[in-house]
Amino acid sequence: MMAEEHHKRPVKMPQLNIKIIRLIAAFVVLVLLILRIHNVALESQLGASTWLRLSVSGLIIGGMYALIAIGYTLVYGILFMINFAHGEVMMIGSFGGYFVFEAFNAIPVTLHDGTQISFLNAQPVIAILLAFLIGMGIAALTGYFLEKIAYRPLRGAPRLVPLISAIGASIFLQNAGQLLFGPQRRQYINPVIIDRGLGWQIPIAGTKVLLTYSGIFSLVLSATLMVALYLLVQRTKLGRAMRAVAQDKRTAALMGINVDKIISQTFVISGALAGSAGVMWGIHNGLTNYFVGFLPGIKAFTAAVLGGIGNIPGAMIGGLFLGIVESIGPAALGIDFQLQDVIAFSILILVLILRPSGILGEALTEEKV
Amino acid sequence: MNNLHIQKSAKNGLVFAVIIIFLALIGFTVTAASMIQKVFGVEVSVGTMPKYSALIAFLAFIGLWNGWRAAKQTEEHPLQAGHAILAGLASGFVTGLFALGYSLIVGTLQSNGVNVRVYLSSLSPESIIYFLFGQSPLSGGFIQLSLSTVSAAFGALLVIFWDRSQHQFLIWKQKLSAWGNASWPAKLRRNVFVGYIAMGVVLLLLVILPRTWGSYWNYVMGTVGIYVLLGIGLNIIVGYSGQLVLGYVAFFAIGAYSFALVTAPEPHNLNWNFWIAILVAVVASAISGVLIGLPILRLRGDYLAIVTLGFGEIIRILIKSDLLKEITLGPRGIRNIAGPTLFGKSFSSDSDFMYLIILAVLLSIFLARRWQESRIGRAWLAISQDETVAQATGVDTYKYKLLALAIGAAFAGLGGAIFASRNQFTGPEDHVLMVSINVLCLVIVGGMGSIPGVILGAFALKGLPEILRELESYRLLVFGALLVLMMIVRPEGLWPATRPKYEENSPPPVTVEGGSR
Repeated sequence: MMAEEHHKRPVKMPQLNIKIIRLIAAFVVLVLLILRIHNVALESQLGASTWLRLSVSGLIIGGMYALIAIGYTLVYGILFMINFAHGEVMMIGSFGGYFVFEAFNAIPVTLHDGTQISFLNAQPVIAILLAFLIGMGIAALTGYFLEKIAYRPLRGAPRLVPLISAIGASIFLQNAGQLLFGPQRRQYINPVIIDRGLGWQIPIAGTKVLLTYSGIFSLVLSATLMVALYLLVQRTKLGRAMRAVAQDKRTAALMGINVDKIISQTFVISGALAGSAGVMWGIHNGLTNYFVGFLPGIKAFTAAVLGGIGNIPGAMIGGLFLGIVESIGPAALGIDFQLQDVIAFSILILVLILRPSGILGEALTEEKV
Repeated sequence: MNNLHIQKSAKNGLVFAVIIIFLALIGFTVTAASMIQKVFGVEVSVGTMPKYSALIAFLAFIGLWNGWRAAKQTEEHPLQAGHAILAGLASGFVTGLFALGYSLIVGTLQSNGVNVRVYLSSLSPESIIYFLFGQSPLSGGFIQLSLSTVSAAFGALLVIFWDRSQHQFLIWKQKLSAWGNASWPAKLRRNVFVGYIAMGVVLLLLVILPRTWGSYWNYVMGTVGIYVLLGIGLNIIVGYSGQLVLGYVAFFAIGAYSFALVTAPEPHNLNWNFWIAILVAVVASAISGVLIGLPILRLRGDYLAIVTLGFGEIIRILIKSDLLKEITLGPRGIRNIAGPTLFGKSFSSDSDFMYLIILAVLLSIFLARRWQESRIGRAWLAISQDETVAQATGVDTYKYKLLALAIGAAFAGLGGAIFASRNQFTGPEDHVLMVSINVLCLVIVGGMGSIPGVILGAFALKGLPEILRELESYRLLVFGALLVLMMIVRPEGLWPATRPKYEENSPPPVTVEGGSR
């Protein structure tokens, strides 16, 4: 032990300095941020209701980020690669839901009293269920084939190679989406029970805050899916196998786990989660097009890193945190809403510089980073 | 021929069914057919579909490929003709069945007056009729089915033919390689002077061509040249020092904007001299490289990639935002950027820019090579091989990584300045993430760490798409697919780097499986 210490000392010295510098930098940044928030937020005219509205909408978007981020984290945990095409998987899921809603909207149903409404509003539960099933299913299939075609042949290659392959797959899927569905934005048709404009009015501090049905629905569903995934990973045989493969592929294979199959299933699960996020994105924001997966994809990766990549609860917390900060950040810092994305990326950079292991991540070994 | 074979063939047929339906859905069948028709010298008049024979040729080609793969899958030695043809037939039949189903669905929708195009924007009514050969959905589908089956059977026949004559091919191949080794090409290759002469010819071509090409080729080749410049810069960061940077466009943007701001009449009206402005751009980019690198270069691998990606996006959003509108003019971009002048004379025709770009590329190649072969280059090599070991052996990894980033950024700044000057315009949309990804791809497709590879990669990724204008909207789709294919088939790149030898009679380099898991 002593000898080891002795050998390490000349190399370790600068590391110590860096840690101190990091701490000082973190402190300075924090103080500046708090001062800024104190100046802008506490003295601004925005009431409590505005803050609540912003944080709720942040929470809703954050739930979607979390679902996508789980996909990144699952794949990264097992293959140590950034699945760059994950955002595109979400886009494809979003289109799956869109087509189901469109199809149901086209079917007319005559009620007992003779009024005609679309099937979408006559049987909204079936429509929503089917939209999510098909959206998640298509996204899961995309994930499955993505892994099989673009990643599986590259097992064991240097790390840059799968990354480039992922970038290629991302470009391919995005342009396939554009060619299939056109470059224009498409309006998502919601069933009335999860309307974007209607919702509960909650009186807070004199004013009323609108909680839209679509928002509440998305929040509840994303929370449910996250719990389901957590149970799947912690309690089922498949989850145990996934954790084993993430821990050590070779040993897992020796224990009788079919590693290739588990990796495939991981991609299917992460694809399904991204697909559900895609349908939610459409329901909540009302729009979808071929480019819809790009920014959420990058931000969800940010969220995954934020929470400590490879760590599932971390991805959830990271996603929710990112959503909220992104939503209230511009108002709290008194800057333009245009710069929302800058906040997300700045957080990413700050977290990586100050605490590379993320919020929940364990201290990463050097080979892992 | 057992059940397993039939299953394999059916699976193969399924894959091809997906391919054909996908191609039909994105409207590629029509484009491919018109390209085939053009190859045979018959122009396709605007607004009409190409001839049906062209479609048949295209579908038959896919069918042949289908049969070829199905027959190869039987994996028999020696190949049994009956089995191969049966496999081809089965595979083609499955594909055909799906094509029939697709024709029925789309055709019936169409004849019932549903406008499919609202949902699938590439499926125009004409293209659906074209895919059905102008027949009713059912008969059109059956034509597809029979075409697929027959052509797949022929594909299987091709395999049989190949199998029978493989022996002959091998003999030819041996003869060819024997001739190549023994006679003058090999001797020429070994002669030192030939290298000089080839270099001279290339230089002569570089001097003559820009004058004779005309503006279109100058434009295309100028773009390729700028990307070569960027590629060489990024190659220093990614190839030599092994640091993955995904936000290279940040330095490109900083170069372009700092050049634009000091030369353009708006918004600051500084009107500096071109050459000073270039220097400013290069220095500004290099400094920004150091500033960005200082906090983040402790990170490794994917983390570094994603942080630099974040920086690239931040810089683009900042340029675009209202916050910096007074300085950068926001989304409008900066116009009327000055071109080069020499002794008071304007020097900014297309060919002049081409010369400027060629000069910059040659300079950067020279510098990059000098650095690679110096002490710095060896430090980079050590870092890229194993950072921990490099650190332990006394290489100041932080300093050398920072140096690599600064140099790479300087090259990007030079490229950005020339780019802005040539277009006389720069705006936030010139500096999207796609630029970084393109440059990274050309470095890796060309072969990491290899300068000829970068040049080849730039031609392949920026030159070919410009030339293949035929493929228009399918360019990026094909590009993405090719990237994946390239990584599977040839991950080391088109022209992989050869390590410089430091010692005579040194043992062969140990191949390190970098980060294999």
